[in-house]
Amino acid sequence: MNKDILVIGGGIAGIQSSLDLAEMGYKVYMVERLPSIGGKMAQLDKTFPTNDCAI
Amino acid sequence: MLDVGRHPNIELMAYSQVERVEGQSGDFSVTVRRKARYVEEDKCTGCGACAEKCPTKVSDTFNEGLGTRRAIYSYFAQGIPSTHTIDPEYCRQLNGKKCGVCKKTCQADAINFDQEDRVVELQVGAIIAATGYEVFDPSCIPEYQYKEIANVVTAVEFERLLSASGPTGGHLDRPADLAIEAEIEALEKKAQKSQRVLDKFEKKYGEASPKFYEKYQKDEFEDDEDLKKWADKYDAHMGIAGPLDSLKKKAEGFGVAKRLAFIQCVGSRDFRFYPFCSSYCCMHSIKEAIIAQEHESETTSTIFGMDIRAVGKGFEEYKIRGGNQSGITYVRGRVAEITQGPDDNPVVWYEDTCQRRVRNQEFDMVILATACAPSNGIKELAQVLGIEINEFGFLKTDPSQPLDTTRAGIFTCGCAYGPMDIPESIVQASGAAARAAQILSDFQMRKAS
Repeated sequence: MNKDILVIGGGIAGIQSSLDLAEMGYKVYMVERLPSIGGKMAQLDKTFPTNDCAI
Repeated sequence: MLDVGRHPNIELMAYSQVERVEGQSGDFSVTVRRKARYVEEDKCTGCGACAEKCPTKVSDTFNEGLGTRRAIYSYFAQGIPSTHTIDPEYCRQLNGKKCGVCKKTCQADAINFDQEDRVVELQVGAIIAATGYEVFDPSCIPEYQYKEIANVVTAVEFERLLSASGPTGGHLDRPADLAIEAEIEALEKKAQKSQRVLDKFEKKYGEASPKFYEKYQKDEFEDDEDLKKWADKYDAHMGIAGPLDSLKKKAEGFGVAKRLAFIQCVGSRDFRFYPFCSSYCCMHSIKEAIIAQEHESETTSTIFGMDIRAVGKGFEEYKIRGGNQSGITYVRGRVAEITQGPDDNPVVWYEDTCQRRVRNQEFDMVILATACAPSNGIKELAQVLGIEINEFGFLKTDPSQPLDTTRAGIFTCGCAYGPMDIPESIVQASGAAARAAQILSDFQMRKAS
């Protein structure tokens, strides 16, 4: 059994999954199609319902 | 984002694609194509000197085409990794022209025009598909005239206009006005160039161009090639100056957008496109209206929708606060048509279902709350992963195990699963991480049913 994990997509969902697994001690490979991670959330200015900064 | 970039247990492969997956749960072998950036990742410091000098301007996809970037670029300012990338479609050097300015500028010697794609083999026990979504393209809805009327924009485009790091620095300048300002800039450059040529003639003959032209028109000169050239140049110069003046006069009246209309369910809850509710758009529009009013206190917004679905912790209170404190009016009704009014103002035609009347209203800008559509490459990726997609194009899951795809060992979360907002995506992501960890641990848990 291989203990490493592949996460496809570097948006908010992929980032959260990767960080959770990495904190549990698993080795994670994150593959993102675009030159930088962040996904759609990085394009947002603020988020609801608290108007916090998205980045 | 930053944590992902520097976590010792995460290997980040940006600008890459999964090409092949074989094996089974607990033992997958995966082929990943790491596309050539033409920039060495271990050398690039992300300083951006190359992008300052690059001569090729390209429409900026991160800013939804509202601004420009260069052919060598970082996807966005705070992007992780900060490694720059050369766009092979537009780079002069990669298209056989003479350039290489970035290579000369780069102090880290990171530019490598001969770089090729690398294919990497990975051995993993579980896979999480978190491929997200695509913003629905509303140009296929003829009655909303997106792309025809410049001041009709999508919610994400509006978000970039609101953002301090966006193309307008957070000012709500209208796209139609921005286009005219760009045209003025281009005409000014042209006028300056022709003025320089006229200056040369004026110096040579010691006479001002308008006076000379007047005489030339009266045939006071004999046929002379040089003088004819001068007259032609003056003619062309006046041809630029006329439209430039009228555009400048128009631009004097430009201000930021203060009357906003938000149209809900564009592409979603619509049987022509996607019958499902995209779930986050109601709140997204309210948020944008509140932020716009924070930027400019006189801003008023009207949100046109069949109903406002404020389902979530603190959402209903947020909606009411928007109405009471941020100048938002909620109108129950579906917008039938958007037409072009005076001064590039869009006019919204709608049915007010509470008053039983068809009305129209003029706005500075219209924002379309576009649907959450399945990601463009999802079909191909599902084929590579050997998993199924559902009738709408999102990944197929079972209600009793909502994070498991149709193949054991492959999980999903976020908008690859279906439309959802950010907090929900985060909850699912942690859930999918737990599911993946569970099958890789030595303990086997009972399937919930």
